[in-house]
Formats: sequence, C-alpha cells, structure tokens
Amino acid sequence: MKTTALAAAFAALFGGLVGVTPAIAEDITIGAVIPLSGASATTGKDQSRGIELAVKQVNANGGVLGKQLKVIVEDSGGKPQTAIDAAKKLVSVDKVPIVIGEYSSGNTIPLGQYLVQEGMPHINPASTSGLVRDIGATSYSVVGLDNVSTEFAAQDVLDHGWKKVAVLAMNNAFGQGVAEEFKKHFTAKGGEVATTVMYTIGQSTYRRELQQVEAAEPDAYVFTAYGTEGALIMQEAFELGMQEGKPWYSILITMMNKDTPAEFKKGLIGMDVGYIGEGGDTYKTEYETAYGETFLSAYGGYAHDAVLFSAAALNKAGSTDKAAVLKAIEDLGKEGVKGATGDITLDADGQRTHQPYLKFKVEGEKLVAYE
Amino acid sequence: MFDFFIHVASIACLYGVLALSLNLQAGFTGLVNFGLIALFGCGTYGAALASGMGWHPLLGLPAGIAMAALLGLFYARLGRKLSSDYWGIATLSIAEIIRISITNEQALTGGAQGISGLPLLFAGLKPYDGMARLALYVVVLALVWLFCQRLVKSAFGLSMKLMREEPQLARSLGYDLDRIRRVVMLVSSAIAAFAGFLYAHYLTFVGPDQLVSPETFLIWSMVIIGGVANNRGVIAGAFLMQFAMAYVPFIKDALELPTDFVAAARLIIVGGGLLAFLLWRPKGLFPEKVGGSNGR
Repeated sequence: MKTTALAAAFAALFGGLVGVTPAIAEDITIGAVIPLSGASATTGKDQSRGIELAVKQVNANGGVLGKQLKVIVEDSGGKPQTAIDAAKKLVSVDKVPIVIGEYSSGNTIPLGQYLVQEGMPHINPASTSGLVRDIGATSYSVVGLDNVSTEFAAQDVLDHGWKKVAVLAMNNAFGQGVAEEFKKHFTAKGGEVATTVMYTIGQSTYRRELQQVEAAEPDAYVFTAYGTEGALIMQEAFELGMQEGKPWYSILITMMNKDTPAEFKKGLIGMDVGYIGEGGDTYKTEYETAYGETFLSAYGGYAHDAVLFSAAALNKAGSTDKAAVLKAIEDLGKEGVKGATGDITLDADGQRTHQPYLKFKVEGEKLVAYE
Repeated sequence: MFDFFIHVASIACLYGVLALSLNLQAGFTGLVNFGLIALFGCGTYGAALASGMGWHPLLGLPAGIAMAALLGLFYARLGRKLSSDYWGIATLSIAEIIRISITNEQALTGGAQGISGLPLLFAGLKPYDGMARLALYVVVLALVWLFCQRLVKSAFGLSMKLMREEPQLARSLGYDLDRIRRVVMLVSSAIAAFAGFLYAHYLTFVGPDQLVSPETFLIWSMVIIGGVANNRGVIAGAFLMQFAMAYVPFIKDALELPTDFVAAARLIIVGGGLLAFLLWRPKGLFPEKVGGSNGR
C-alpha cells in the first residue's frame, strides 16, 4: 500500500515534469553557468542580475531571430565538477547554441575546455587569468585578462612615484595570476617588487602576512582582496600603524571598498575595471531601479554584455547553427558590439582587446574616479 | 538527454570506485579515513605530472599509484600510534596540508590555477567516445567490486573485520594489526588513485579545488547512505547521490523555480540525506551481511 502511494507520488511528479517542459521550446535559449552558491555567490548574484537586465533589453528590442530570448542559468556551486555537470546539461539536454560562464578562473578553464571539445561557443564573462587565453578555438572573453589590468595598475603605481612595492594577494587562481603579472609588468617598467606574500582566504587575522610585507620596507603596499577580507586587512594594517606615511594601492578596488569602514581606508587609492563604459549609464539606472541598490561587484556588467554579445551573434548568424554562430562571433569581434562596459572588440585569440579601466580614490565611504 | 545520462553515469562509476576504496578502509577495517580525497588527488596529479613532463599519458597511472601508495603507507604508519578518532583527524589534516602545498608549489603543480589540457580518454572515437568511456568505467567498477568482494570474503577479510570489531582480541589471537592496516591502506590507496587517474583524463583538468575536504565527506555520505561494509550498497549509494545531485536542475526547469533552489536542494540532499539515514536507517540501503565468508 505504502509502495503504491509512493509510486503514485513519483508518477505524478515526473508526469508533471514532462507536461511542463515543452513550453520552453518556443524561445531561443542560451545557457549560463555562474556561482550562485559557494564562496563567490555574491558575484554570482550580480551576474544573474546583469543577465536578467540584458534579456529584458534584448527582448524589448525585438528579441533574437524574431523570437524571445531566454537564458537558462545554472549554478556552478563554485566547483569545477558541478560547473561541467551544468554545462553538459545545457549542451546535451537544453541544446543551447552558446554557453556563458563562469566567474573564477579555476572553474572557467575546465568549463571552457569541455565546451571547446564539443566545438561549442563559450563566452567568458569574468575570469581574468592569463591561462584563459589558451582554452581553445571556440572560447571567447568579453572581459580583459590580467595582463591588461595589471599593466594598467603597474603604470599607475609608478606614476605615483613608488618604485619599490610589496604585493599582497590571495592564494587562489585569481590572486596568483595578478601577483605574477603585476610583478612582470612592474619590473619591466623599472620598478622593484620587494616581496610578494600570498595569503589564504578566510583567516580570522592577517597580522602575520602584514608584518611580513612590512619587513620589506617598501614605498607602497599593493594588494588585492575580496570584500570582508579586504576590510580586515585594511583594519589590521591601520591598527599596526602600517598606514602611517605609507600609501596603499588596491587592485580591483571595488571588490573590497564597500565592506571597509571609512576610518580604515583614508587615502586608499586603486584601480578597477570600468564597470560602466560608454553607454553604460542606462544600465546603471536600470540596475538601481530594479534592485534598489548599486552594483554588488564589477562583474554584473560583463555578464550583461556577454548576453548582449551572444544575442547579437545569433542575430548575425541568422540561425542557431554552431558553425554560423562561431563565424558571427569572429566577425562581431572585429566590428565591435556596444555594451554596458564599452565597446567590445576581440583579438585574434578571441580575447577582449581593450576595456575601460578607472583610477579610484577613497573619499569618506565612497569611491571617486579621477584622472 | 542521453549524453547527459552517460556523463552522470560515468562520474557515478568513478565515485563508486572511490566509495569502494573508502569502504575497504572505513567499512570493513574500521579505519576512519577523513583524508581519502588526497589519495584520489595522487591519481589526478599523477596524470597531470605525466602531461606536464611530456610523458606518455599512461605513465601517469604508475606515478599516481606510487604516490598514493607512499601516502597510504604514511597514513598506516600514523595509525600505529593513534587511536581511530585521532587518526581520522590526522588524515584530515594531512589531506589539507597536501592540498595547501599543491596550491603553493606553483612551479610544479600550476598552483591554484591547476593544470589543464590533459588528453581526453577515447577522444578519437567521437561521437561514441562518451559510451566508450562509460563502458570502460563500468568494467573498472565491476573489476574493483569483484576484487573487493573476494578480499573481504577471504581469510584476510575476516581479520579486517576482526580488527574493526575487537582489535584487542585480534591482537591476542596473534594478528599483526599493523600489517593488516598497511595492506588495506596500500590496496585501497591504489584503487583511489586509479579513480583519480581516470577522472583527470575525463575532466581534462586537475586543480587543488578538486581536493577540498567536502569532497571526502561526499564520498562518506555515499558510503553511509548505501550501506557501510556492503560493497553493493556503497556503489548504489554513489549512483543515488550522483544522480540526485545531477538531476536537481531538471526539477528546477520543470517547475520554473529560481536557480538558487538548485544550490539549496543539493545541500539538503547531502546533509539531510545523511542525517535521515543516520537517524532512521543507520545501516544504509543495503546493510552489511554477516557471515558468508569463504575463509576459515
């Protein structure tokens, strides 16, 4: 009796599944794999907002190939295995023509490689590691990689007259990429990196790491950190007196500025990707109206543009055929697409050629862009 | 849908092999190993090493197994001095030390960015490569299962169970517990490394994020839900968990739920499933069969 009831329940559930599924088929769907759980869930949320707004915008302007655009968003859990599971679902079950994803380089690279093996177009909306360049032929980035951003940062630091710096970065794929590329560019431009300290994320204190960089006696401290960690690092640097007379420079400053109280970040300067380029004002207004707050991270805008770019590619290709879509992406990469983060053009490797970077300084709680 | 099924089944087979390895240690011998994932990591990094050094990919297998054997012996050596709960903590911390070392040895292991571009197994057989891989994994799983069955039903298997139940008695009867521990760790480490090697050539990417401790506990949940000390059970547990996790997104699509649901549902499946089984069915889906040994 009990078994029958259970079986009936299952039958009802799966019957329901079959009944509902075909409704999706009338739209043009593309896929996105982003971290909605795990350590980067906040950025993932920002990405999903960017995607949502982009879909609205595309559909308001006539949709894709005469139909409505729909993006199937899957959670990567912040893990390569789950990210690939999600991509396999999107490719083999939902049969999407383009997959956008992920956020951290450690997941984007295996995800992209799987898609390249399948000959599927992959659009990287966030990962900046230099290794992304080598993913393969059908992988494209709408975000500039580390080599571009760190060169900008290295020049900016030198322009302030600081020749000897200490670098502090988190010990993950992103941090290691930034530390390495920054050192390369900084040294090439005649600067000296006195020491590089990599810290583990999620510690309750960073005093040991701070004292290590202090011992190198640099002209300035260059660091990169995520939200609450950045706040703790700044607070402890303040408490250790390391902010007295020594400037601090934050690479991708918007990641940590929001979480840091004003008293611990006096005089802090830094750089970040310009999350709004030319034509991005509308996006910013829409975002703030829709969600009642400012951007959670710099990456929502890039996810937004990844969707715009994909929609443009599908329209140009005239179909969802893989080969046609790939050709359309290549062509669009040369012509450029106007997005919220500015003009998107791709180089021969399918990576974004240039993107806006902004110099920021802290005034009270707020970040102010300056020239 | 079919390709996706093949993929999920392939991963489930590899998890099944890992679950069998853990079952030999924890299920039959009572070795509560919380550092299993490091043994698996020896296999993945063996494959990565071969790829990085430009060796033939197959050479990654002996390299991985050799590293896993050394690590397994080290674990076993620690077990001489530590009682089982302390040993569990020690294995957990060693696995973490290994993961952190890998993250920091950038020159050797590619650091946190990992090593990508490993050759995909059977890539030349497209479009049937997925089926070919699944067939291989099924054969490997079956062979490992057969081997484990024979091992636990042998006289040595009896001594493993005796060590689990009554270590003092076993010692008084003249069993060399250190030797039993050593042999079990060697064998199960090699099995875990083999699974790692196959996994690396399936995912084509190896990185330290694959070796975080929650992965060990995922395997643990498979063993507990399937049935501790039942080889058939832990394979069932591996398949059940892997399929449940992989098919959550479809329920989301069908019921048009937000994607956040997937993340939450997965956490509930692992945590809630584990808790439910521990409370209501602590022996798992397939409880251990007492007796049925071919030994003395």
